[in-house]
Amino acid sequence: MKVNIEWLREYVDLPDCADELVDVLPMLGIEVEEDEEEASPQLDHVVVGEVLSKEQHPEADRLSVCSVAVGSVEPATIVCGATNFSPGDRVPVALPGAKLPGGFKIKKSKLRGVASEGMMCSAKELELGDDESGLFLLPDSPEIGTPVERLFSQDKTLELEVTANRGDCLSHIGVARELAAHYEKDLKTPQVSLDLPEVDQPSAGGLIDQLVLETENCPYYKLYSIKGVQIGPSPDWLKKRLESVGLRAINNVVDVTNFVLLETGQPLHAFDAAKIKGKAIRVRQAQENEQITTLDEVNRTLDPEMMVIADAERALVVAGVMGSIDAEVDDSTADIVLESAWFQPGNVRATSRRLGLHSDSSQRFSRNVDPQGLAYAAERAISLILEIAGGELIPECVSVGSSPRGERSIEVQKSFVEKTCGFTVDEAQLPNSWRRLGFEVSGNDPWTVTIPSFRWEVERPIDLVEEFLRIHGTGALTDSNVTSPALLRENDTTYDFCNRAIDNLVGQGFQETCNYSLRSSEEISSWLPQIEAEKIALANPLTSDHTHVRPSLLPGLADVLAHNQKNLNDLQGVFETGRVFRPGPRGNLECISVAFATLPQSDSRQWKKGEPIDFFEIKAILARLMAATGLSLPKGNWTTLENESPWQDGYSAAIGDCHRNKLQVTTGIIRLSLSKQKEVRGPIFAGELLIDPVFLAKRKKAVSFKPFGSFPPAIKDLALVVDNTEPAEVVRQAVENVAVQVGSGAFEVDPVSIFDLFQGTGLPDGKKSVACSMRLRASDRTLSEKEVNRAFDSIVEKIQSETPYELRK
Amino acid sequence: MENDLQAIVAQTETSLKSVSSRADWEQAKASVLGPNGSLTLAAKGIGKLPNEEKPAFGQALNQAKKQVEQLFADSLCVLEEQADLVSLGDRVDPTLPSTSSLNGGTHPLTNTRRKIVSIFRKIGFTVAEATEVETEWFCFDALNTPEDHPARDAQDTLFFPPDSQWSNVSRKGKESHVLRTHTSSVQIRSLLRESPPLRIIAPGRCFRRDTVDATHSANFHQTEGLYVDRNVTVKDLKSVLDYFLKELFGDKLETRLRPSFFPFTEPSFEVDLKGPNLGKLSDKWIEIMGCGMVDPRVFSLVDLDPEEWTGFAFGIGIERVAMILHGIDDIRHFYQNDQRFLSQFSNGA
Repeated sequence: MKVNIEWLREYVDLPDCADELVDVLPMLGIEVEEDEEEASPQLDHVVVGEVLSKEQHPEADRLSVCSVAVGSVEPATIVCGATNFSPGDRVPVALPGAKLPGGFKIKKSKLRGVASEGMMCSAKELELGDDESGLFLLPDSPEIGTPVERLFSQDKTLELEVTANRGDCLSHIGVARELAAHYEKDLKTPQVSLDLPEVDQPSAGGLIDQLVLETENCPYYKLYSIKGVQIGPSPDWLKKRLESVGLRAINNVVDVTNFVLLETGQPLHAFDAAKIKGKAIRVRQAQENEQITTLDEVNRTLDPEMMVIADAERALVVAGVMGSIDAEVDDSTADIVLESAWFQPGNVRATSRRLGLHSDSSQRFSRNVDPQGLAYAAERAISLILEIAGGELIPECVSVGSSPRGERSIEVQKSFVEKTCGFTVDEAQLPNSWRRLGFEVSGNDPWTVTIPSFRWEVERPIDLVEEFLRIHGTGALTDSNVTSPALLRENDTTYDFCNRAIDNLVGQGFQETCNYSLRSSEEISSWLPQIEAEKIALANPLTSDHTHVRPSLLPGLADVLAHNQKNLNDLQGVFETGRVFRPGPRGNLECISVAFATLPQSDSRQWKKGEPIDFFEIKAILARLMAATGLSLPKGNWTTLENESPWQDGYSAAIGDCHRNKLQVTTGIIRLSLSKQKEVRGPIFAGELLIDPVFLAKRKKAVSFKPFGSFPPAIKDLALVVDNTEPAEVVRQAVENVAVQVGSGAFEVDPVSIFDLFQGTGLPDGKKSVACSMRLRASDRTLSEKEVNRAFDSIVEKIQSETPYELRK
Repeated sequence: MENDLQAIVAQTETSLKSVSSRADWEQAKASVLGPNGSLTLAAKGIGKLPNEEKPAFGQALNQAKKQVEQLFADSLCVLEEQADLVSLGDRVDPTLPSTSSLNGGTHPLTNTRRKIVSIFRKIGFTVAEATEVETEWFCFDALNTPEDHPARDAQDTLFFPPDSQWSNVSRKGKESHVLRTHTSSVQIRSLLRESPPLRIIAPGRCFRRDTVDATHSANFHQTEGLYVDRNVTVKDLKSVLDYFLKELFGDKLETRLRPSFFPFTEPSFEVDLKGPNLGKLSDKWIEIMGCGMVDPRVFSLVDLDPEEWTGFAFGIGIERVAMILHGIDDIRHFYQNDQRFLSQFSNGA
């Protein structure tokens, strides 16, 4: 909201130089937005001086020596080169110590042998104007010695940002009230005294026959009638006020209502009485699809949630938001009806949002105007209209309904204030602070504080503490020590998990990145066509590329690789930790995800070839990540992925499910068509963890120690011929199972390992050889060769009889 | 005779100097210690000696044998080391770069978040987390921002459709799910789950329905703080934030509490700071975070007695802190992930 400082001065005495308001208002809780215009120049030590005498310089024809009164005891002697002035003129004088806007420093000096104690200035020299032809002759005879910057800081307009709770500050009087409290000055509000009798229905013969409130959204409505106004342009003072805050003058009646809105914060609406059909005003909810063309010349469709002011036939105003062109006051208007009302803030706000129509009026109604200020604002406007536009007031106020709130009393004790603030408070400070804000205070600890109706949000003792602190300030709270250093709890496990994952992946050479959570539906349908994307779609996305929450971190990582490739940046491996969103059988699940992606090799040319990353390296990276973060693989085997986008068929594998197992692990190569779509050159090797946060919250049981023997193992190898399609792990597991069974009771078997894989010459088509190595050991002795051979023979026999595998000879 | 032995030792020593492979070495060894080796033959000569000379010769023979064996052992050691060195390849030029270009690093937002969390940990705050998907009740109502509250205007919220189902984001009633607009919702989840006294810090991602530009981002990060105990005061709030900001931005920092408004705190403040070494922002008041005393209504809404419990809460933007700390002028850098940007911060600084 814009406020004009000169306008504010009508209601409160402010310092001559109003620049300090930029610092004062924020400390009262009203932010001042950065000044768009250039800040007025700093003119320290530049004051108003009066030329007392002007003599010719003895040594220089073009110079004069002047005696200038500058507010100190002795007049200053100043040598000057200008000629456009004479004794008696008041001019800006830069005294020693001043620094002019151009950087020129003023010192005592001698000019052609005559001491000069300052410099008289032109407008240009002070950057107060463009005139450099002579001294700046100050008009209106300002007081001698006054700092010049005070003269020029006037008529300044500030853009204020008023917090949502302070609707009362959306007016000049409202802001003036805060400043009056700060400066401990009186608030001067314009006097109005129309003393109109209140009636609940219009008297016969007026402009309106009927006023009906048909909706709870309007509990209080006042209506006034003026006959025979003369519509015309507003007087200059009024135009100047409106223009100073960026409003356009329209005509005298409309301008007065706008002026009073900006002065008091109460929006008013003036109707052309001739355009009100049926001489009736009905405040009602709109009908479904009711049409109205608002003053901004947009046709709008209303719905029953919205409130309108209507006549007997049609809606004339979207209540509290904007009038229609149908009842506009224009040059032909003679009789006007003036509305001053209180509307439910929530209803006005909702309507205004739904229509996408925000006006000065809706802004104030939705911030809760003062219901007890309706009559004041209306009478203020009426007085101005009668004064400016003439006309005859029908001497009654049609008032329907009642004020939804009045004054409130709050009882508050000093001990409560001190308990909240944490410092001792001087007894007199409290009632003093509250009184300065216009609250009435009676009693003495406890005090009873009466809150005027315009401060709807002050309801409780704690609110009075805030008001006290606003006026008193918290500047004294410095350098206190922090207490209670003990930890009461540990970090949530989810946080520590992500930190460990970050450290591990950084250690494995990956760069951490951060990508947007909102993605497009195209991306999701090509990367994860198997999930039901509509379940993670937003209801009100802002842009078409931000319509869904992300189900995976991988597309973002591909974007990063593509971006850096394009920019020839050497970035091979990237990762992200974050939240992803997966539709599941019991609704969507918000998962923690860790994902990493890497190109097989650096793009940059290197003096020596390194090993490119392959599937088994990316699997190892994943294994290291899981080990470092304390995760173990879900039960079961890695499944080769087929038709599981975004993974390349046959080059990727998964284990677990984030819904069933609370942990899902996937690794491999990103589907080549998808990396191509993202314009990444080369395959992307990636890994992804999806974790239900609950999974990490589980406390892990302490591990029980298992003793181990100290006798050396016997090592036995065997190679099996199996179907090409048989997963090696299944073969290995079968060998291990058989070995464990055979050894049962006699010896133990270490995990069996695969040490060779062979396909080709000597093997039948469609077959491969898997060579396994096993270590057998007893806990109490070294196994004899005989024992080992016997065991091995039975293992081989058992494998051949119980599995489809052949021993390779 | 004994002279012969010395000659054999000397000759062994000489011949080993020219040995350059294991085969040469084996051959040399056979020529001295083998069945027909010079020392073996010399030993056989003991039988021809008079008995009285035998002990002395035996002694000399043993000594010579020891010497020779030592020479061969030493020689073998040298040979093996040479062979090992050959397997190491050429000596290296350490100024050449390593071939792996994988140079890991953390993101500047992680660095900033960790700094913030670590400072607060020193004064007793630990991390709490909650979901990014929230419900209107947790995001607004429980924070004393009911449907028709003016503050709800300012929060441009991204909603999920009313029928959207979330298995791990509980609702109070039938309210809609939203993307949280602030981390303040973690206050509510924590107060409902854990009992006070409580001191938590809650970093996390938030969302606004905002057009992306140099200072706005569709998602961004905040850190919420909450301190609930008996007899917590505005003075405690100020001292905690002063400690935090000085740890983060340096000792020569001035701070001030400027009255403001948040629905869930009363009184509410913006915190401004002024300090040197902040680049373009040096030595002028800049807004850094919001804070206030927990509004008694919030305690009531989470079933805590506002007569018994008091507290303060604060929220700070992680991007904003990172931008001030590093003089970054465009929030989009954090999400573009250009290596030339990231690598400047990847050592955790």
